[in-house]
Amino acid sequence: MPLISTRSLTHRYPGDVLALDGLSLDVESGVIGLVGANGAGKSTLLKILLGLLDPTSGEATVLGFDVRREGTRIRALVGYMPEHDCLPPDVSATEFVSHMGRMSGLPKAAARERTADVLRHVGLYEERYRPISGYSTGMKQRVKLAQALVHDPKLLLLDEPTNGLDPAGRDDMLKLIRRTGQEFGIATVVASHLLGEIERVCTYLLAIDAGHLLRSAPLSTFTERTGTLVVEVEEGAEALAGRLAGQGVNARVETARTILVDVPDERPYDLVRDAVADLGLGLVRLEQRRHRLEDLFSQEATDAA
Amino acid sequence: MPPEIGGTPAPAPAAGSVAAPSAIYDLGYRGYDGPRLGRRAAVWALFASSFRATWGLGRSGRAKIVPWGALAFISLPAIVQSAVNATVGPVAGAAAGGLTFDSYLAQMNVLAFIFLAAQAPELLGSDLRNRVLALYFAHAMERLDYALAKLAAILAALLVLTVVPTTILFFGLSLGSADLVQGFKDQLGYVPEIVGAALIYSLLYAAVGMAISAFTPRRAYATGAIVAVFLVGTALPALVRRAGSSIGDWPVLLDVNAIAEGVRHAIFGGSANGVVRQMSLPDTGYFAAFAAIIIVGVAIYLWRYQRVEA
Repeated sequence: MPLISTRSLTHRYPGDVLALDGLSLDVESGVIGLVGANGAGKSTLLKILLGLLDPTSGEATVLGFDVRREGTRIRALVGYMPEHDCLPPDVSATEFVSHMGRMSGLPKAAARERTADVLRHVGLYEERYRPISGYSTGMKQRVKLAQALVHDPKLLLLDEPTNGLDPAGRDDMLKLIRRTGQEFGIATVVASHLLGEIERVCTYLLAIDAGHLLRSAPLSTFTERTGTLVVEVEEGAEALAGRLAGQGVNARVETARTILVDVPDERPYDLVRDAVADLGLGLVRLEQRRHRLEDLFSQEATDAA
Repeated sequence: MPPEIGGTPAPAPAAGSVAAPSAIYDLGYRGYDGPRLGRRAAVWALFASSFRATWGLGRSGRAKIVPWGALAFISLPAIVQSAVNATVGPVAGAAAGGLTFDSYLAQMNVLAFIFLAAQAPELLGSDLRNRVLALYFAHAMERLDYALAKLAAILAALLVLTVVPTTILFFGLSLGSADLVQGFKDQLGYVPEIVGAALIYSLLYAAVGMAISAFTPRRAYATGAIVAVFLVGTALPALVRRAGSSIGDWPVLLDVNAIAEGVRHAIFGGSANGVVRQMSLPDTGYFAAFAAIIIVGVAIYLWRYQRVEA
């Protein structure tokens, strides 16, 4: 049974704004990155998956439940962290998270116990008894994550979880998400417009643009090695490229200091070493080039257009 | 200690005893296999927490001032009268112009009104203002469930507020009589009115207050609007009468308190209080206005919560 499955999912907001346009996808468990620019339809998709928004047409199931008819059953098993602020300022994290646990149907004692557990997991200690109004943005994001985890969901939907965080806060939040998804084994969908973040935590990537699916594949296929070697020298990049070309290696100058060498087999490595030594060049760096997610994404977007 | 997200064991506390050194270990993430009580339990929990919130329970001291102050002041005449009744005697007590079951809420409803104007906007406004609704609706709960739980909470709170003072009066009058058993028997006939009158006021107030409060996240606006509706309802009929309008007494049906008193009088009798005494409207007029306000108010409120942005 796929975790999430959609067929020709379309959503049109009032005013004829097309947010999702015939989206079909199947996703298995894991930490799934949902990337797309702002307005690509990420939040709309999450709301439909939660059964909060009825799609205009098409089908979708989450954990085998139909989003139109079985929204309540889905929401009992899913934890949701919205993009925007959603915390009352006048209660403490403990009270709030425990209240949200009860809203998921946990008995009182269990809600309290789970609250202590999840707040510890997100790294809130003594401050959890203070009113939320005094929390930093990072702490508030942790509380939002904690309330999504309190009922031990089968699936977590996180909408822009690093919004508003400073670089250190981002790192912490991403670590936390990776730990939640990979160590705790809770299937997680992370919606973000920042590819760099998705790259760091996810095992699977869904890329959407203007309501269309651009690509759906394991992250590794996006970042696999390309069979290109980057050679950086202090000077003489052109001479090096010329010499390698003379030996039947496909080499081209990229910048004044770097050349790109195709490596279909092991032979070019030795040739590069010998050529650099013979020419007396200062070798700075030898690196296997990988696809960068950004490159692929922009390429796909161009192709799709 | 700065929060450390990793799963490393916390350092063992310095063991001062000869027993084996103890250590606190991070147990890692634990799943939950216990019971999940589902939607009904969630709605009940929301009702209970909202009811507590209307009384400021579990909140700061400031949040308790209005609800408990209103309860204290609305109960004060009943307490005083019970005391007079016990010391001076029932006959003298009644002669001194004390409140009776048929006039109590008509005289004291301003305190229920203050309670409503302060607590209904807070009950709904906080979740609207802070966008907590998105989380509620993302749980095993429908929009309708949320709205009904909140409505039930304010209704229950108003019922407590309006039943407590007349209940105090009931016991005050019963216990103050010379023959205790006969005293209770005499007062027992008023029990339906104690509950019924409270229910009439509470239903009307809750419907009006919640229909207004659902429309704005700003507490001050909602409170202002509730005050305006009650004031206009009281002032307008008098103005229309003074202007010598030919539509008779009907404008009094804009006055929420007059409707409540009219319905109470029609069902339980006793003396008609306030403006209702001067009116010559048929009982059905009050009943129709009563039903219309509750049905329309609740319908607007529920409609709003089907559409409100979460």
